[in-house]
Amino acid sequence: MFPWIDGFHWTATHIIFLSLFFSAVLVILSTVVSAIWHVFSDFRAHRAAEMCWHGNFEELPEGERRCRHQLAGRVASRTCDNAFDCRSCVNYPRFASLPANAPTKSVAVKYSDKLLYHRGHTWVRPEWDGTYSVGLDEFATHLIGRPDSVKLPSPCDDIEGEGIAWRMTKNGHEIRVRSPLSGTVISTGGPDSGWYLKILPYGPPNLRHLLSGPEVPGWLAAETDRLQLQISAPRAGPCLADGGTLMPDLMDAEPKADWDTVLASTFLDS
Amino acid sequence: MSETLLIDRRWIARGAERASTARFLLWLAPWVFLLLLGIYAAGLCLYYGLNQTNMDNRFAFGMWIFADLAIIAMGAGAFFTGFLVYILKQEDLKPVLNSAVVVGLTCYSGAVAVLMVDVGQPLRAWFTFWYPNTHSMLTEVTFCISCYLLVLVLEYIPVLLRNRQLHKIPSFLVFEHQFHKLVPVLAGVGAFLSFFHQGSLGGLYGVLRGRPFAYRQGFAIWPSTFFLFVLSAVAVGPSFLMLVTAAAEKVTGRRLVQPSVFRKLGFISGVLLAVYVAAKAIDTYVWLNITSPAVGFGPWDFYSYKPFSSGLLFAAIVPLGLLPALLLIMPFTARKRGWLLCGAALACGGVLLNRFVLTVQTLALPTLSFDEFLQYTPSWQEVATFGGVIAYGVIVYSLSYRYLPLFESSKGADKNVSLD
Repeated sequence: MFPWIDGFHWTATHIIFLSLFFSAVLVILSTVVSAIWHVFSDFRAHRAAEMCWHGNFEELPEGERRCRHQLAGRVASRTCDNAFDCRSCVNYPRFASLPANAPTKSVAVKYSDKLLYHRGHTWVRPEWDGTYSVGLDEFATHLIGRPDSVKLPSPCDDIEGEGIAWRMTKNGHEIRVRSPLSGTVISTGGPDSGWYLKILPYGPPNLRHLLSGPEVPGWLAAETDRLQLQISAPRAGPCLADGGTLMPDLMDAEPKADWDTVLASTFLDS
Repeated sequence: MSETLLIDRRWIARGAERASTARFLLWLAPWVFLLLLGIYAAGLCLYYGLNQTNMDNRFAFGMWIFADLAIIAMGAGAFFTGFLVYILKQEDLKPVLNSAVVVGLTCYSGAVAVLMVDVGQPLRAWFTFWYPNTHSMLTEVTFCISCYLLVLVLEYIPVLLRNRQLHKIPSFLVFEHQFHKLVPVLAGVGAFLSFFHQGSLGGLYGVLRGRPFAYRQGFAIWPSTFFLFVLSAVAVGPSFLMLVTAAAEKVTGRRLVQPSVFRKLGFISGVLLAVYVAAKAIDTYVWLNITSPAVGFGPWDFYSYKPFSSGLLFAAIVPLGLLPALLLIMPFTARKRGWLLCGAALACGGVLLNRFVLTVQTLALPTLSFDEFLQYTPSWQEVATFGGVIAYGVIVYSLSYRYLPLFESSKGADKNVSLD
């Protein structure tokens, strides 16, 4: 195999054969090394969270990738192809200028016009001191009830938008909540505080990707429909309630439902 | 499905419908038993030696080598599908790409495992790399198969990392993303390595001057069997992939790929099979009329020993060659799934027969005046080891199907925006 190994011959056959073999091995190894090198670069450049989110987004069923403008009734049908990042969507201004036609039926959970909503069921509220409070919306709160445990980041930790902001467990299920914006964690709350994190963004934040106005009831109505279909009995035909409110502590009330799927859909997890 | 029936739900892709855990385990049970039996038989062979088999010094190639050649030909679908998708940009075959990788990986790793039992002395396996005999086709086969197996393992890693739980680990997900970008490079290397080892497996027989039944003339250092093996492998690879997919559809009761993917695989397989049959027919004509008489054997001397009659030669070229090629190409039959699968099965049968004839008939026929016609029946250890490899393939494929995204439909975002 090598000149110093017994049996090696300086013949054309030997040299050509071994050169081809070593070339193939080198290409294979350099492919692996290159991939590992790029992984380290991505983590160093804080691109990893965004890449993870894009990977997860591609796994989402098409029904869960509906564009905010469809939810607001501005367009009849549109699937997001931009990982819910309206900040870089070239079509956003065109659709945002269309008149909204949100669903008129009542929504099963309360929402506030003063809050901005993330598709992973968190809300964002600007505070007077330049920080942003982040909490779970009422849909998620009703679903989970009181979590069994909450694992929050420490103050001064950096978190990336669409990365995992905090984790909770409930009835043995791990819930990973996505961060609606990037920044540094200033302080942490919890289920009893009404908010979970206060974040200081890295710079003036662009919050165009968060839902507001007529998009919110349309989105919550679609989420409620999705939830009803997911927790309905396996042999029951598809049916939706028209009206009513979402009962609290749903995970405790319906322990036999496929919560793994429901939680993944709700929190945009894979 | 409720979580009580699917206790491994967390490992299954969201939205994917799978059989209940109990049913899946019931499906695996007989295959696990077969695998354990195969491991026991292989253990006997490794511990006691090849006296556990019915091979001897004259019949040195038996069931295992036939199985190796057959399995490796069937596994060609992996490199060929990768080549079609990544190099020739046949994107419509993407839905079966992951499945092809798993089929290729199980085929090649199974073949290497059997080869290690056959060669024996696994502790000295590295000798073949450290002291290579560059004049031997087997050295090329060993080098290329080892490298290609490494390529297949690497191609399998991104598929494996797309498991639902593994996908949650950020470093794995980023690695999968970055590695996926480089897979076309691996597909190119895989095509290069596969071309040479598929060919060298055929060349192995073609250079046997002492075995006139197998000996062929050729081009430069490569006998014609080198090219015939490459052609037959790339022809049958897509057919085998179709059969595996159809079997998976039958077992799971779900439609896994679009009929158009089947038709495309069938058409590619059919065209290549037609080219192979033409080349094989010319090769046979030259062999029977020039190569073989030149070493003192009449055209039909090889077919006077039962059960190896000339019917085998006819079967390999017409009903298991030309007929499946027509079934796979002709629009009338290719439109019908039944005929398409029938064509694919016949094509695979043809290549199996070709590998069997070259391995077993070559050694069974007498070549010297004092030689006798030899007969060989594999021992139970040989059969069980082969069965173990089949079971291993089924188990790996079943687990991959259950926990990994083997059949992807292109989800492309809906760009048709309606303003109504």
